This record gives sequence, C-alpha cells and structure tokens, in this order.
Amino acid sequence: MNNEGTWRYTFLTTLYSLMAIFIIAQLVRIQTNPEQVAHFLEQSKIFDGDWRPVKPARGLLYDRWGKLLAGNTTVYEVGVELAQVRNPHSIALTLNVILGLDYAEVLEAVSQEVSPKAVYVVLADYVSQEKISLLEKYRTELENTTSNKRGEEPPSLRGLVYVPHLQRSYPEKQLASNVLGFVNREGLGYYGIEAKFDDLIAGNVQDMWIPRDPNLVNEMPDITSGASIVLTIDRAIQAEIEAILDQAVEFNGAQSGTILVADPQSGEILAMATTPRLDLNEYWRYGEVFKDSTPFNRAVSQAYEPGSVYKVLTMAAALDSGAVTPDTEFIDVGVIEVGGIYIYNWNSAAWGPQDMQGCLQHSLNVCLAWVATQLGTKDFYDYMRAFGIGHLTGVDLAGEVTGRLKTPGDTDWYEADLGTNSFGQGVAVTPLQMVMAVSAIANEGKLVAPRIVRSIIDKGNQFDTEKRLIGIPIKPETARTLSEMLARSLEEEASDALVEGYRLAGKTGTAEIPTPYGYSLSATNASFVGWGPLDDPRFLVYVWLEKPTSSPWGSVVAAPVFHDIVERLVVLMDIPPDNVRREILASH
Amino acid sequence: MERVRNLTQAYSQTPWRKQLKFVVLFLLCVVFIALIAGIYLDVTARAATIGREILYMRSEIAELELTNASLTTELAVLTSAKEMKTRALDLGFVSVEKGEIMYVLVPGYVPPQQPHLAPPPKPTKVIAANLPADYRQSLIDWFREQVVPTISRAVEVSP
Repeated sequence: MNNEGTWRYTFLTTLYSLMAIFIIAQLVRIQTNPEQVAHFLEQSKIFDGDWRPVKPARGLLYDRWGKLLAGNTTVYEVGVELAQVRNPHSIALTLNVILGLDYAEVLEAVSQEVSPKAVYVVLADYVSQEKISLLEKYRTELENTTSNKRGEEPPSLRGLVYVPHLQRSYPEKQLASNVLGFVNREGLGYYGIEAKFDDLIAGNVQDMWIPRDPNLVNEMPDITSGASIVLTIDRAIQAEIEAILDQAVEFNGAQSGTILVADPQSGEILAMATTPRLDLNEYWRYGEVFKDSTPFNRAVSQAYEPGSVYKVLTMAAALDSGAVTPDTEFIDVGVIEVGGIYIYNWNSAAWGPQDMQGCLQHSLNVCLAWVATQLGTKDFYDYMRAFGIGHLTGVDLAGEVTGRLKTPGDTDWYEADLGTNSFGQGVAVTPLQMVMAVSAIANEGKLVAPRIVRSIIDKGNQFDTEKRLIGIPIKPETARTLSEMLARSLEEEASDALVEGYRLAGKTGTAEIPTPYGYSLSATNASFVGWGPLDDPRFLVYVWLEKPTSSPWGSVVAAPVFHDIVERLVVLMDIPPDNVRREILASH
Repeated sequence: MERVRNLTQAYSQTPWRKQLKFVVLFLLCVVFIALIAGIYLDVTARAATIGREILYMRSEIAELELTNASLTTELAVLTSAKEMKTRALDLGFVSVEKGEIMYVLVPGYVPPQQPHLAPPPKPTKVIAANLPADYRQSLIDWFREQVVPTISRAVEVSP
C-alpha cells in the first residue's frame, strides 16, 4: 500500500465513522426525548395491524325435528381497490352488464383519485355466488387475451375485489313465515322469532385487532356465532295446515284465515298458520303483501270478538263454581234482558226447555247469558282472568297484543257486557289466547303457557325449555264433564267436524263484527275450537275464517276445516283410532 | 528441562503467536455470537412462519365456515317440504289417508325423540383442585416439602 492511496482509505474510514456516529447520535437523541419517543410509538401503531368489526354468523332456526327453517348463505360485497384500477371503463361496463349497475355511476366511483379518504369503494353488495363466478370467468378471459397487447390501456378488471359475508336465507320460503319473521340487510330482525330473539340470534359484533406481527397471532379472540333455536313447530304439520288454510280461505271466499294446532298437555304449538304469508327471501315485498296495517301474524297480533267458541269458557266457569250442573234446566223463551239490553238467539227463536248440554249444542245466546247471571259478575270475570283473557300469553313471538276484557270498574264497562261477554261478543281475544284458555279444559283444568321455543343452542350447549303451568282455573272433574258435554254435542248434532274412529270435543263460533256504527249485518267471523282424542288429548285445533262469503256460520265454514285438519293430524302424529288405541293399551 | 524452558521462552516471545492467540479468541467470540444470532433468527423465522400459517388457516376456516353455511342452506332447500313432496309425487308415491294405515304394536319401538343438536350444559367443575401437586407447587413449596424434612431428619439423627 503506497502513501498515495492511504489518504483515500483514511477519508472513507473517517466518512463512514462519522456516518455511524451520526446515526448512533440520532438514535440516542430520539430515544432520550420523551416527546419523540411517544410520536414514533404512535406512528408505529398505525402499521401494527387493523381494527376490524367481526360480525358473528346469525344463529339458525330449526323445527322440532331439527329441519332447518332459517339458515345463512354466502353473498359478496363487490368493490374496487382504487390504486389497483387499470381500466375504469372495463369495470363500469362489466358491472353494468352482469350486475345491472348504472354505467355512469360506477365509472365516476372507479375513476376517482386515490387519497387517504378514498382507497376502497363499495359498488354492490349481496351479490350471489353465480354472479361472482361470471365476473371471475370474465376477468380470467380478459387477463388471458390482453396480457401481451400494446398501445392503449387494455380492458382489465384489475382492482375489482369480492368480499364474502353471510346473508339470512329461508329454505322453506313462505312456510311458517308468520312465526319466523325476517332479517333485513342491516341484520335487524323483524316480527316473530327473528325479532323476539334478535339479540340472542345475532350474537355480538366485536371489533377485532388483526396484528400484522405473526408472533401476536395467538392473541386473536374466537368469535362465536349467535344462538340457534329449535322451535316446537312441526314442519310437516305446518305445511299441511297452511295448504288446508289456503284452500279454505279460497273456497269460502274469506278475507283471511288463521289456524293454530297445539298440544294441550304441554302447551307446545305444533303449527301456526295465517294469511297472508310472505316469501321471507323477498322480505322487501312486505309492503305489497301486508297492505293497510294487516298484521304479520294474526294469531298473536290481531284481537277479535270470537263469538260462540267463548261459550266454552262461560260454561266451564259456571260448572266449576256450581252455579249450574249439566242437568240444570233452562226454559228458553228466545230473549233475555241483561243490564237493560235484550239478548236473542242466533235464529231469534225460542228453544224451550234445555239442559246445559242442549244450550251448548244449539249455541243458545239467551241460555249462556242466563248462565252468566247465575254465576255472577265477580265470579264470571275472575274466571275469565284466570283463563288468561285480557293478558299476554307470554309466547316467545314479537308483536303479541293483549286483546280486551272490560271488567267492572272500567269506565266503559256496563252491566249489559256480562250478558254479551258470555257468548263471546264485546270481548276481544287473540286466537292464541283462546287456544291457551280452552287447552285448560282439554288438560284436566291445568292452564299451561303456550310455547313456541323448544330449545336454545348457545355456545355449544342445548338448553331445553320446560312446560310452564300458569294456574288451575277449573277443577279436573269440571274439565272432564265439560269435555264430555262438548263431545256429545258434536255427536248429536252430527257435526261436520266429526272424524270417524276418533272421539272429539269442540264448539263452533259465529261472531258478528263490530263497526263504528254497530255490529255488521253482512259479515261474520267463523270459528271452531276442538280437541282430541277425548280421553287423551294430543292436539287442540283453533280455526278462524274472517268474513267468509260462502256462509256466515262457523258450523258450515269452520267445522269442515277442523275435520280436514284432524284427518291429516292423526296420520302425521301417528294417532291410531280410539278402538285400536284401546286394544293396544289393553294388550300392553 | 533446558529444552522445555527454551520452547516456552520462544513461544512467549514470538509476536505472531500472541497475535494468533488474540485472533483465535476474537474469532471464538464472533462464532459464539453468530451461533446465538443464528439460533435466534432460526427460532424467530420459524415462529413467524407458523404465525403466518395460523393466519392463513384462520382465513381458510372462515372461508370454509361460509361454504359450510351455504351448503347447509342449499341442502335444506333441496329437502324442503315442498321439494320433497314434489319429488315423492314424481316418484309415484301418494299421500297416505287415515283409513289406509294398519297399526301394529312393535315391542321395543321407541318413537322419534327430540333432536339433540348440541350436548346439554354440564355443571361447572373446579378443575384446579384435581391438578397434581407438581403443577400447583412453586419451587419454594417444593423445597419446603422435599428438602426441609430431609435436613430436619438429618439433624435429628446426627446428635
């Protein structure tokens, strides 16, 4: 090494040493200055990772046998990473053709300059898998055919991204729609189970920290999906009931219809069908299906004057209190005065001497009004309250109404109400309230709360609901006596409700409809409530047809519907005819 | 003896031998540091790779969950009440009527039960109480339990 080259080495060594010293000095200066340390720590956090909201999968809804009634399906959000876009026209044109988006709007959104506030733009959401497959296929074709071309900007879908997420889906479409309710695109539940259990089914949206440092990956929490619910509804029974209801509404020219099927012993609702119904996958058609404040679920949300089916409760109260016995004789002269008003029979005729079964069998308003007066005002309303009339049933469905039972002490209660209430006028009930009340008669006097939820599956465990006894409004003997009276009534009337081989109890109802100008003379509510088999009730059916035009009478319109339903129920529920059942029990 | 002394003197006085000693010591230090750094880098790289794999697997799980949800719903659509009825009718089945059923008593037959889509909740157990002592003891506890009695016994025996 000669002296001439030494100075270069010396210079370089000095330079690098100075640079090293400068860097070390900077490091020391920054790290000893608290303000700078805080500033750089803050800066570094930006690159540590991202906070992302994570929405758990919405819980599923099943029927009582585990058939899926509400599930989730994958859909996609379509957006663009602005920095990646090569040809905005290609993207706008493609989305216009495949997704039907407006060309000009997409072009404007895609052509904007990248800025800290504009990095990613959402162009469409809830796009189906099929559409995404088409987009992907087209993108691949463009990449293959234009990759080597020169000149103008080649057609390209670069920058287009698809982000998958879940959307509510109802595989049974309209089936049990009035029970399930629906979920909108914001993920909010409306009506039915979806609304009632929205918080539970939706789960908790969590803001999750996604670290970029792979060593911190174990700090990511698990997001559990929302709770799933097993309903008491039987899909097969629900489907049959809906078909029968639609047919009955159409055949009888009714304005609407409601049918409930329940197990009177456990309070489980096996089917709940109303009209109209909505394909829940097209919930945005709600406005055109449910016009003029039509309730989503009439079974719980519409109270009406039930008419003669209510006589069952009046008679139950009178028999239980001892005000009358089945053999008590009443001379029907065709009219009775209660609280200053005159009450007449449905045919305005006098039916002469009648026992209590005859009063029920011929559905005599005059007789039942007299029975109510024998029972007394206080006892009558005490019994009605004990049957749950005028109170919410507490069923797990959104939108339940209480109905209206005017009682002494209310400003709008008059003594005449005792007479009219006794045969189901001047009192408003929901079909579910009637089902719960009448179930007590079918269930040895025990009033059981109606149940629509059988189990809740949350965090990997299944929690089963239990039967809930509300009270015992009448004695078991009263319930048995009244059931027998109602069964004989049907048999002696040769009612259209009867089903060969099965002993059933039931009562028809024909109610006038109140209007602002008094009761309508042209329209009625036709109802029927019945249960069976008489000695071991497995089902209770409530039928309500609103304003039928084929006939105004419940015995003509609603009783045959009950018959059709029972014929299907005994098959679907594996209930043998009474004689076969007795033989099986005897041989067992 | 004279020969050994000469060799020692020659070795200690030769400058390049001292340099060699210094260089070897320095190289040993460098190798040691490089070894530690290498091990550290290897472990860190493996942890980072595994971390990335976990992230990838998490995203794969999320994707599979979405696919699973879609397939479950698709299956439910294919087996929906309406679809099944249509398929049954197409295959020539007819809906059974009340009078066409013959009921037979089958000994041991269990009717369909409520589905169990998940296990029932279990009572909460305090598992800490069941853990072996080895997992609960601190070093001081262990020392007290194992060593102190031994020392005490030794002291008792020795007088």
